Amino acid sequence: MIFAHRVAGLALVMAALTPAIAFADGKSLFLDNCSACHQPTGKGVPGAFPALAGSAFVQGDPKIVMTTVLNGRAGMPSFKDDLSDADLSAILTYVRSSWGNKAAAVKPADVAAARAAAKAVAKGRGLQAH
Amino acid sequence: MSLVLSGMEALGYGIASATERPPELTGGAKNTKIVILGAGLAGMTAAYELSKAGYQVQVLEARAFAGGRCQTARKGFKHTDLIGHEQTCDFDDGLYINVGPWRIPYHHRSTLHYTKAFGVPLESFVNDNDAAYVYFEKGAGPLAGKPVRKGEIAADIRGYTAELVAKAASAGALDAPLTGLDREKFIAYLVNEGRLSKDLAYKGTEGRGFSVNPGAGVNPGPGKELPPYAFKDVLDSGAWKVLSSVTGYEQQRTMLQPAGGMDQIAKAFEKRVGPMIRYGAVVQKIKQSPSGVTVAFKDADGKPGEVTADYCLCTIPLSVLKQIDLDASAPFKAAMSGVAYAPVNKIGLQMKTRFWEEKHHIYGGHIYTDLAGINSISLPSTGWQGEKGVLLGYYAFGGEAAKISAKTPAERAAFAVAAGQKVFPEYADNFEKAFSFSWHLAEYNLGGWAEWGETGRKDSYPILCEPDGRLYLAGEHLSYLGGWQAGAIESAWQQIGKIHARVSKA
Repeated sequence: MIFAHRVAGLALVMAALTPAIAFADGKSLFLDNCSACHQPTGKGVPGAFPALAGSAFVQGDPKIVMTTVLNGRAGMPSFKDDLSDADLSAILTYVRSSWGNKAAAVKPADVAAARAAAKAVAKGRGLQAH
Repeated sequence: MSLVLSGMEALGYGIASATERPPELTGGAKNTKIVILGAGLAGMTAAYELSKAGYQVQVLEARAFAGGRCQTARKGFKHTDLIGHEQTCDFDDGLYINVGPWRIPYHHRSTLHYTKAFGVPLESFVNDNDAAYVYFEKGAGPLAGKPVRKGEIAADIRGYTAELVAKAASAGALDAPLTGLDREKFIAYLVNEGRLSKDLAYKGTEGRGFSVNPGAGVNPGPGKELPPYAFKDVLDSGAWKVLSSVTGYEQQRTMLQPAGGMDQIAKAFEKRVGPMIRYGAVVQKIKQSPSGVTVAFKDADGKPGEVTADYCLCTIPLSVLKQIDLDASAPFKAAMSGVAYAPVNKIGLQMKTRFWEEKHHIYGGHIYTDLAGINSISLPSTGWQGEKGVLLGYYAFGGEAAKISAKTPAERAAFAVAAGQKVFPEYADNFEKAFSFSWHLAEYNLGGWAEWGETGRKDSYPILCEPDGRLYLAGEHLSYLGGWQAGAIESAWQQIGKIHARVSKA
């Protein structure tokens, strides 16, 4: 289901506007990985999950934003084991340019650098936790 | 505490959690009032011990019931997540799923202290089962994407490895690294470990199973042993990832569970501290003065209320507490941001027959899989040979859990059933009902458990373990037993010990 959605979204954009592939992939990756909490609208859930739409934090220093997603912070989970540099850059580029947000794109190399700086190397997840 | 250490501890071989009993709060409570925020295991532990010692205790609990994450879903249990998905559990009478904690390692003596003291009956939790399948799709070769019993994988890869090493040692190829060791004893160990033949070959072993089981007379008589898989196939499958010499500290093979659901522990506490709990009280503001703490809350009808006490013990998860108006020092508040919380999903699937027992001879334990969003399927360690059963259809963490939680409950169930069908041909036909839970989407929790990174553990955690004015924090998040009930209990023990020492000195 998720896969079908992603493929459909990608195909649509490829037909329409080739340079926007990264943008569209960012949207489907966002819906897949982030929307349960931050919502497809980017508005979050008041009192629980912060809004990304109109957020000064999200549109601010990309290094801090990248580190927050990689390592987690203030209750936000860590995604270092789940998202590749390419995926995370596509998601952040989408988030920083959607719902009225107007901040610069994030490149995979930026994420790679942030990952190295934040010691957020992806590790395999254990089979069991608690 | 007793001056005489028990058995293995006396010999210095202790493996149990550091604290096995509550602190002794002797010398009186001097009419001291304590407000406790949260009636989970940390809050109720503190309420129970402090009130026993003479403290005046009031507990504020946001939910209409006690237990915190110690919840069990059975018929009638309701849950609405933050996306607005409403579910009412409709399992048949007697069936349940522990959506929160579900197993107790034998060495969590703090948890076991209370199950014993409160008379909560325990039963075995099968945490390791050689008969359970491993289902790995991402490997290569003929065993990839095929359910294979864990015992077969273990026998074969250990057998072949032992054969290699034994033959090398026997030929003298390991004499240099074996200097000072008894080579023959080493080979004897390998023969034993790998169940090798006298010529140091691994040819399979009866313990991994039979195609025709041994029985009576001459037919089936001795039965027919299953042949081993090829070394290459086992290695390529990746299924060996489920094997280790011993389990992790937290994943002991011997575990326990309360009969009838984990919430029997919460209910046993509630029976003793229930009158101190104000339910439906959602904390709005925590204000400190030099002489006390005032907590403002909204009650179940939305009306404001206030409690003032000498000290506050706050067990609210940091993911939730950071959004509450809190009167604490700047470093303390900054430290509260130093932690991530884990997205965690569970789903209970009611099956109309116990096909895993009847057809596959698997009694409890886990089906490990590399299917994204599933992680493991766990078979119930209760209700053996009953008509029906509820199994755990997925237990997933992190990003994979966040993904699946965006689905509706019906979609989550369909996802879980489709995955299980890959392992058990009877799965979809037997599926009746589901109840799913995502801890990051649970109001008043916002995550399954605290996940401290290296920096947070070093810089933030120690600050939060100490009081800020008259505010003390407790919970699994302030322990190295994170996500375990023992962490909540032992953190509460530590903090009430500190409060009592302060009161005694004042």
